Amino acid sequence: MKRETRQPLVVDALAFAGAGRTWASPEREVDYNVDLLLERGAAAGIDRHCVMPPRNDTYAEANRAVARLCEKHAGKLIGFAAHSPQREAGQLRQALVDELKGMGLKAVRSDGHPTRELMDAAQEFRIPVVYYPGPARWQQLGRYYHMLATAYPAVNLIIPHLGQYASLSWPAHIEAIDLAKRYRNVYLDLSGIGSFKYAELAAADLPAEKLLFGTGAPELDPRVGKEALRLLKLAPEAYAKVAGGNILRLLGGR
Amino acid sequence: MKTDWAYSRRSFLGVAGAAAVGIASPASPTSKVPVIDCHTHAGTAGRLMDPWTTIADPGEILRRNKEARIDQACIFPISHDNFEEANQEIARIVKRYPCRFIGFAKHDPVAEKGRIRSMLLRECRQLGLRGLKLHVTPTPEVLDTVAELGIPILWHPGRVALFAPVAEAYPTIDLILAHLGSDLSSDWREHMAGIEMARRYPNVYLDTGGTVLTRYLEQAAQELGPGKIIYGSDEPEVDCRLEIFKVRMLGLPAEQEASILGGNMQRLLSKYNGNAA
Repeated sequence: MKRETRQPLVVDALAFAGAGRTWASPEREVDYNVDLLLERGAAAGIDRHCVMPPRNDTYAEANRAVARLCEKHAGKLIGFAAHSPQREAGQLRQALVDELKGMGLKAVRSDGHPTRELMDAAQEFRIPVVYYPGPARWQQLGRYYHMLATAYPAVNLIIPHLGQYASLSWPAHIEAIDLAKRYRNVYLDLSGIGSFKYAELAAADLPAEKLLFGTGAPELDPRVGKEALRLLKLAPEAYAKVAGGNILRLLGGR
Repeated sequence: MKTDWAYSRRSFLGVAGAAAVGIASPASPTSKVPVIDCHTHAGTAGRLMDPWTTIADPGEILRRNKEARIDQACIFPISHDNFEEANQEIARIVKRYPCRFIGFAKHDPVAEKGRIRSMLLRECRQLGLRGLKLHVTPTPEVLDTVAELGIPILWHPGRVALFAPVAEAYPTIDLILAHLGSDLSSDWREHMAGIEMARRYPNVYLDTGGTVLTRYLEQAAQELGPGKIIYGSDEPEVDCRLEIFKVRMLGLPAEQEASILGGNMQRLLSKYNGNAA
């Protein structure tokens, strides 16, 4: 029992719950099965998953669905809202007030380039922003983060997939690592990486504080993500940070 | 180009000493079938623009293979301007690690038109290569030579649909569809098409390498059975330790898992009838 209490918490910083379309293109209709997520997550030794909705045209109901699941599986799920800064312009602050204070959600994923409205709200509520520019912007990853990171140094930015889902363009991984090195407020999530050597490179180049274990489950199998974390062969202190300590710290700042 | 590979051969002396081309003893003492990775790149190239036009170090690959308990890997060139030269490099690497690597040639059926038959015959009979890796659609020149030699083709096509006419016209040639139809799962619809292709043609097999969306690997295993699936990784760009984990994660009975991890590939490789020099 004593030994168990010393095990670091393993918190998946990027997972999904509810219905919508895949974030990755080509899109697919999905209705993510939370039981499968929890079953496979438990099999992999994952204690908690940060869940956000899949892509939707509007996010009010999708975020409520996430909040309901988090309530049902308290202690296992941490809810993130998702919003489109462009389609929901003028409504973001109030929506986040409701979702953060009323529903207990802890962060926001930006579906589209974050606007001042979204970043101001994130700064005010001290929540991290998860933002992935998407495949059309592979070659210019830095352009989409430099301004955000410098204009809002108090807002923590999480780049999913080490900058490039499935490693479809390897230079984006290098650029993401450089962004995390340059900006104190940029963090990299390790979910959905096709070419694992870039995760190894990130672990070698960056302080452990900058990397977040993530799985992309249940779109991706959380057992694979957890095996990738094991293969990084981190020292115990670094492992504790990457496996869960870092994301909990980022979420605890509010 | 000569390369002084970082890996020490000494680590593998325990299994060295077999014929120039052969199937190694399994790394796992409980396994009766060797574990074979059907999809590994090795060697050097000169363009220096991407990892796959620069270097694929067999020493690094061997280290990871050992950790993943992979007995042998089928190796073929990375993107190269001269495949004849690149295939010779593959043969040299195999000669250096004969129990760990099985050499495949790589060719461009269009750019090397008219020269492929003689090159491929020489590469198999004299250099000991035992398969062919393709990206470009094979021509009758390529396919007739492959059928004569009895070697498998590992083909990464632009679209899965390109497999159909080849599989139909050459039913005796074993065709392995790379990446379960979609490299790094960049288009899930191609995974679906790949599964259908393997279901339709007895001579089409699916390589598991670089499947990010493992739900399609699960679907292939459930719908097609283990006889149509062949473990591969796409080393060194894709890590064999994670790719083999995805197959082991399927939780199949030991015999079925062994077929995917090596038995099927072993059977395909045993069809070689080109006679070694």
